[in-house]
Amino acid sequence: MRSLLAFLLVLLLPLRAGAQGAATQRSIAIDSRLAADAALRVGDRVVVASEPGMPGDTVVIAAIVERRADPAEIARGEHRIRLHLDHLQTLLGYGDRVDRFAVGTRDARATSEAVSRINAAAYGFRAHRSADVAVETSRTFAVVSRFHRAIGLITIVASAIFLLCIMLLKVDERRRDVAALRLIGCSSRTIVGSVVLEAAAVAVLGSLAGVAVGGAASWIVNRHYQAVYRTPLRFSIVTGDIILMAVALSLVLGIVAGWLAARRLTRQPPLVLLGR
Amino acid sequence: MIATLAFASLRRHRARTALAVLGVAVSAAMLLDMVMLSTGMRESFRGLLLSQGFQLRLSPKGTLPFDTEATIRSADSIVALIRARPSVAAVSPVLGGQLHFPVGASTVTSTALGVDPSVQGDFELVAGRDPAAPDEIVANDATLRALGRSVGDTVRAAAGYDPQLRTLSGQRVLRIVGRVRFIYLALDQRAVALPIGTLRAMNGPASEGRASLAMVRVRTGVDVERERADLAAQLRMVTVISTSEALKQVDERLSYFRQLAVILGAVSLVVGFLLVTTLVTVSVNERIGEISVMRAIGVRRWRVVAQILLESSVLMLVASPIGLALGLVTARWLNSILASFPGLPERIDFFLFQPRAALTALGLLALSGVLAGLYPSWRGSSRPIAATLRQEAVG
Amino acid sequence: MSTIVEARGLVRDYRMGDEIVHALRGVSLAVHEREHVAIVGPSGCGKSTLLNLLGVIDQPTSGELSIAGERVDRLSDSRATEFRLRRIGFVFQRFYLMQALTARENVELPLAEAGMAGAERRERAVELLDYVGLRKRERHRPSQLSGGEQQRVAIARALANRPSLLLADEPTGELDARTGAEMIALFERLNDDGTTIVVVTHDEELARAARRVVHMRDGEIVG
Repeated sequence: MRSLLAFLLVLLLPLRAGAQGAATQRSIAIDSRLAADAALRVGDRVVVASEPGMPGDTVVIAAIVERRADPAEIARGEHRIRLHLDHLQTLLGYGDRVDRFAVGTRDARATSEAVSRINAAAYGFRAHRSADVAVETSRTFAVVSRFHRAIGLITIVASAIFLLCIMLLKVDERRRDVAALRLIGCSSRTIVGSVVLEAAAVAVLGSLAGVAVGGAASWIVNRHYQAVYRTPLRFSIVTGDIILMAVALSLVLGIVAGWLAARRLTRQPPLVLLGR
Repeated sequence: MIATLAFASLRRHRARTALAVLGVAVSAAMLLDMVMLSTGMRESFRGLLLSQGFQLRLSPKGTLPFDTEATIRSADSIVALIRARPSVAAVSPVLGGQLHFPVGASTVTSTALGVDPSVQGDFELVAGRDPAAPDEIVANDATLRALGRSVGDTVRAAAGYDPQLRTLSGQRVLRIVGRVRFIYLALDQRAVALPIGTLRAMNGPASEGRASLAMVRVRTGVDVERERADLAAQLRMVTVISTSEALKQVDERLSYFRQLAVILGAVSLVVGFLLVTTLVTVSVNERIGEISVMRAIGVRRWRVVAQILLESSVLMLVASPIGLALGLVTARWLNSILASFPGLPERIDFFLFQPRAALTALGLLALSGVLAGLYPSWRGSSRPIAATLRQEAVG
Repeated sequence: MSTIVEARGLVRDYRMGDEIVHALRGVSLAVHEREHVAIVGPSGCGKSTLLNLLGVIDQPTSGELSIAGERVDRLSDSRATEFRLRRIGFVFQRFYLMQALTARENVELPLAEAGMAGAERRERAVELLDYVGLRKRERHRPSQLSGGEQQRVAIARALANRPSLLLADEPTGELDARTGAEMIALFERLNDDGTTIVVVTHDEELARAARRVVHMRDGEIVG
């Protein structure tokens, strides 16, 4: 029924303000997408029918409703209207049938109690917690989340390799300096420590810059996809946890890369580093 | 000589070279995966749509095939009209619904497709035969497993089930004559197919003459888009879409993945470029004295540049097959994640390997690698010889 | 005897930060064919700068320079490179051999650049190594050679394309006394065999081995 509701064919014969309507004319609400696509306004009269070409009811648009930020509606180019329950039942010939009831409870304990009591007495239907239904219906997004995590993992592994490679190259450039320091008596520990400190500073600065870029990118992504899919849904959110994780991970990777690169260099005798 | 110097230089710093190769390989793998992702879904879906040769699809007005429960009224007359067109080779009407099979104390529900077995394009026979008689049915493995039945068995099926009264309506006894694989359904989705007339009868008078979808195969040489436009003009109560239109809809719905692929692909390219630039710059800086001496003894600048570019080219050449292998492995993994989308047809791949696209991507990376080496090598070979030698002597 | 080097009023100035250093202040010099000339002087007198100009590694700020009858003071980079390849042989204080190549391959390098075919190139390289007494070390890399041996290889490399002029910048600077003496003997042999040599050196023995000594101070020739 929900699908039918969603795709109820609306014969677009808007009767503009000024035309006389019956006193008992029913009203409907339409979503903002339909209002925009069909150039409808509050007060317009339209005909709703269950199938194209079938006679229907003339109704007046009483309200325009904003779409919810529902991920399940993404990429579905459908329009939605809302009718009074009895009106839709009559239009579709449903009698007194409904697809579901939604029940509001006071708190979590009341919810559990309500579910048990309803299921004990129910005949031919079951009560479910909204949270459980959400889990089931969000399987698609669970897949997308897994995909994102996989991409994230690959990116982190790739970044670690790139970082190690570049640290190795840059530290290698300083082989003569390192050799000179070793020759004048600086310990490997001092040299490795200074390289690690430098790597850590670069990692922190770089990750902060990355956070700024990520924040900007997140804003752009949201603006873009909200426009493309015509939804208020937020596609990307940068939270404190994510920032903390990114900075921490960058720091760890940077330090490890710097340590490995510096260690490699300080293990070689100074004269070898000088090419003698 | 140039090649000898280039290979010798790469061998001189093995760890660095190995790591650089690995870095470029990872770049190549990511780039390849993103190319596969950006084209895979579309091509996979196109292949799926055209697998049975039907180029046009009719669905209830304003909907996409099987997007809703809506059906086409007077579908038989519409099908007859289309079949009469000389440009049309075949029309396959399909009615979608559900059948309920009582099994013990419970009921197994399955997607049901009412088809015209002589022209159907929804399933492939694995064993047995197509349902010819009104009381015959074919099922996929998921259904047969759930029912505990096999080809040759009979089952009781009902088109209606009232959960409140726990009663079945529109019942029939049907004989399973074939084991099939449904082309457009997920592997684990329970599904059966039976003659469209049987399903309509089981559904009751409301289903008479109705279909959810009609697939049209045009004759060879016919302009598909023109045929689509003609049919759309003639049949105003249905939506007619061609394969390209369907692909456009898919593109729109899955544009997120394509855009992600483009962005990540571009990032991979940039990172690969930066990696090679850094490697070449460091390599050149280390050998600046050597490079200046080569110039001093008369080696031409472009030959010095060529030697350095040869190093970065060798890196790319070695890294590319590694990247290709790595990319195929990660693509398989990522594809297995996305393939678990609920309701996704079994044959849809998000990551499709197309040799031409892969070669283009790797070629692009190789080119960017060579270009990345161009500036630092040119700069290194253009330094004033005397000043550089003096600097190197002091250093 | 023809004149190999004709330098007139060579000036070379360098900018070092805000200062301008006048490395050469109008040097005129002529070197004839088969001459062995040593340029001596204190550090910073401009002798290496002069050698760099003669080697067409650097360009004078002003003045005229001809080598083997060709004006070289205003050559383009590609022409200068070509000239160095075919007309000049340069020996450096620090040898500057390609570490990744063997002794023979180092000598082959300018021959390959000049377009000589593989077999002929190898033959010539071996011939040159034989001349400098290193035939048996042709497959050794620079890291496997002593300082003196490396310098011999460098000399063989410098002679590869039969240059009109052999230039050497402190060729014994990194060598011990005994090896230095061997190098001096080699230079004498080269000159006896017809090579025109200009050497910049602090080494008195090397300077004495030359037939003419040019003294420089403060960017000028003083004797």
